[in-house]
Amino acid sequence: MNVRRREGGRSATAGGETYVFRLFVAGNDSNSTQARENLARLCEEHLKGSHEIKTVDVLKDAATAHKNNVLVIPTLILIQPHPKVTVLGNLSDTRQVLAALRLIGDER
Amino acid sequence: MATPTRRAQHRDAAGLPKRRKEIRKIPTGIVGLDLVLGGGVPAGRMTLVSGGAGSGKSMIGLECLLHGAAAGEPGILVLFEERAEAVRQNAWSLGWDLASLEQKNRLCLLAARLNPEAVISGDFSIKGLLAILDQQVKAMRARRIVIDAVDALLYLYDSPLRERQELYALHEWLLDRGLTAIMTVKTVPQEEAPSRYAFLDFMADCVIHVDQRITAQVATRRLRVMKYRGSGYGRNEYPFVISPDGVTVIPITSNVLQHRSPGPKVSSGQARLDDVLAGGYKRGTSILIVGTAGSGKTTLACVFAQAACQRGERVLYLNFEESPESMVSNMLSPGLALRPLIKTGRLVVQSYLPEAMGVEEHLFHALKALDEVHPQHVVVDAISACQRMGSEHAAFEYLMRILNACKERGITCIYLNQTTGLDIVSEISGIGISSIIDTVVLLRQLPIGGVMKRQLIVMKSRGSKHSEQFHEFRITDRGIDLVKT
Repeated sequence: MNVRRREGGRSATAGGETYVFRLFVAGNDSNSTQARENLARLCEEHLKGSHEIKTVDVLKDAATAHKNNVLVIPTLILIQPHPKVTVLGNLSDTRQVLAALRLIGDER
Repeated sequence: MATPTRRAQHRDAAGLPKRRKEIRKIPTGIVGLDLVLGGGVPAGRMTLVSGGAGSGKSMIGLECLLHGAAAGEPGILVLFEERAEAVRQNAWSLGWDLASLEQKNRLCLLAARLNPEAVISGDFSIKGLLAILDQQVKAMRARRIVIDAVDALLYLYDSPLRERQELYALHEWLLDRGLTAIMTVKTVPQEEAPSRYAFLDFMADCVIHVDQRITAQVATRRLRVMKYRGSGYGRNEYPFVISPDGVTVIPITSNVLQHRSPGPKVSSGQARLDDVLAGGYKRGTSILIVGTAGSGKTTLACVFAQAACQRGERVLYLNFEESPESMVSNMLSPGLALRPLIKTGRLVVQSYLPEAMGVEEHLFHALKALDEVHPQHVVVDAISACQRMGSEHAAFEYLMRILNACKERGITCIYLNQTTGLDIVSEISGIGISSIIDTVVLLRQLPIGGVMKRQLIVMKSRGSKHSEQFHEFRITDRGIDLVKT
């Protein structure tokens, strides 16, 4: 599957769908800060204008973490478009994250 | 040696060494385990239970939580591997109603299975889990926590360093909250990185190893305490069982000093035999009746049992040779009416196939019966069959433990042993237990003048006089009759 692949990883939102993310962080620890930044940059570059990020700080809202079975911090959940995708970690490997979010073809 | 070492000194929050003293312990509520641990697991600290798949680790953890729930110490069970529903069902099959405890906020099953489809990109921590646990601990005022299959969490990391850091973070968290924790970890057979979880052993204040092994086609469970900071503990390997009553560890609690001194004489059920024994057997002692098949061992034991029951005492008869039914009907021939005694509950006959279960399960049933029946006398028919529990060693262990349990309780213990050869004397030893037997009665059959004659001799009777002659005896339809010589 190489259909959505774009050189340089430019915008790949099929049909202009809004991407809805939920990002679970723990205060401002380094992984959480990195994940916030990495996600913001990635959205800026690939999903300009058509994304929505809800950040949940598990230190303040453990109940939502529990409901979503979020054990690991940071956790990124792509809620929309379906199917749901879960990415764990500080999102430092951009290509891997893009592939997981179906924004570029899986290179594996 | 169970002396605390320097490592036993714990440091308080400020990092200052505390004065050495016996640490506070929390009973697990598991029969036997608390004895081995000298009271229980260390309070507010982490205990590691390691073992292979199916070795019973999780059961130990769960049972500790249940006892906590009953004792007003709510607990959390974190499940990294099993599904909460499966745990509830398994517990239900043991008669434990987890759901109702959950409703009462005494217990919380926290499913912490990681999404296997999750993609990993970059570093992460388990702060999510800790945040959830924090909330839960506060909400239910939890005092105990069991973290089941912590190894599943570690598989997430491909760096041993990060693995270790996260476990230390978890450990710190546990200590900060003052929770009494049990962490279970699956150990893999040797070759696969034996040191992978070695640091867990260092981290934990108490380490218990459990395993299940097969000897002679019989599965046995064993438990061993590997370390216990600041406390002594039983150093042996202890057999344990998982039964409908939960986990039972069978410690060797007995040493000879705890044995009660033998009581007064008790009738053998046969007046002339009492004469031979200078008044009868001694209460609370061990008696071995040895003889070839058909020499009258069971009859002799049943004569004793009947007399005891008729005096209003209780007898537990552990039969490894025949069913209670067939024993009752076989004993009709020498004129012994056992059925009425069974009906009154004075005579309790329990028949087991030796090879049906492992030695610890046999022990469990026997010790349970001792506690339930409260017999004055116990008969084991026959110790020769006990070898089929696995090995001669297994039989020895079984018989020793029963004997010890009986001696502690002042119960008379009659062992029957079937010899196969004609050279009976060399077989008297009876699986090496002869040294702890107080009285040995030997039965034999000899062809004299074209007839088989039965003879009885008391070979040994510790602390009592006895006749040193062979006495001829008959089995009549009214019991046993000793011929006057």
